[in-house]
Amino acid sequence: MNPIINGIPISYILGLAGILFSIGVLGVLIRRNIVIIFMSVELILNSVNLVFVTFSKALSHISGETVVFFVMAIAAAEAAVGLALVIAIFRHKKSTNVDELQSMKW
Amino acid sequence: MDEIIYMNIESSPSFLLFIFFGTVTVVTALSVIFQKNPVVSAVSLVFTFFALAGIYGIMGALFIATMQVLVYAGAIMVLIVFVLMLLSQRAETLSRYRKHPIRLVLLSVFALGFFFLLYSALTTGVPHSDQVGKGYENAEYSFPIQGTATVNAKGNVGVVGASTYLDYLLPFEMISILLLVAVLGAVILAKKKNTEVEQTKDNVL
Repeated sequence: MNPIINGIPISYILGLAGILFSIGVLGVLIRRNIVIIFMSVELILNSVNLVFVTFSKALSHISGETVVFFVMAIAAAEAAVGLALVIAIFRHKKSTNVDELQSMKW
Repeated sequence: MDEIIYMNIESSPSFLLFIFFGTVTVVTALSVIFQKNPVVSAVSLVFTFFALAGIYGIMGALFIATMQVLVYAGAIMVLIVFVLMLLSQRAETLSRYRKHPIRLVLLSVFALGFFFLLYSALTTGVPHSDQVGKGYENAEYSFPIQGTATVNAKGNVGVVGASTYLDYLLPFEMISILLLVAVLGAVILAKKKNTEVEQTKDNVL
């Protein structure tokens, strides 16, 4: 495995991906607006993409970049369905605050 | 390994570019989750996506960098901003974390511990493979096909395309079906029910 990609040590790139993932997790935990929770999930998916590209380069195998392409397609599908759900919930509840979505709590 | 890293840090312009883009990524990602106004968060997220595209470009993954700008900074952000505008979001009050700083500190410590666990797992649990993967080092892709010996692809886009359509043909087709189903589901979810359709002057037809 090549520990350096174009002059960048891969541990630095992996550290950046870890920071990005943790920021995404923190956003999911502390925010109450459902659209911002969606944006945090996009941050998490992006950090995973960064790890895939890094290992694809470090191991000199192209499959990682192909998988990133698939992850982007899945993220687009997830955004379409998720935002349609947000619109449907907003029409029903007149709110996008996840604290007010308790109809399944009993 | 450590000597090599220290030797390369000072002399490499791509390392300085990586530091710049990495800083932009972290700062704008923090801005995404700490801004009160959701529209400002969305704009910060666009900058995060562009900085990540820059990092992919430095690493030589040009196809992924292009797709990052086209799909994430283009398509997905248009969806998110449209929904934000349609729903007329109010600025969320973050003051409840000012009232309960202990909760914010605890959640931050949790995220920080999460980062260190993740970092140690990533840097130690990597499979140490020494073999050169097929077709990457010389930017050529070889895939055995009946009749011809191999198929050759040159350049990053060509290699990724060849890998997509030769190694991953079935997942590619399944992704297209999944996108179709997701878009149909989104239309059905966001559609008004028939009983809710109001008669206005514009839709007499």
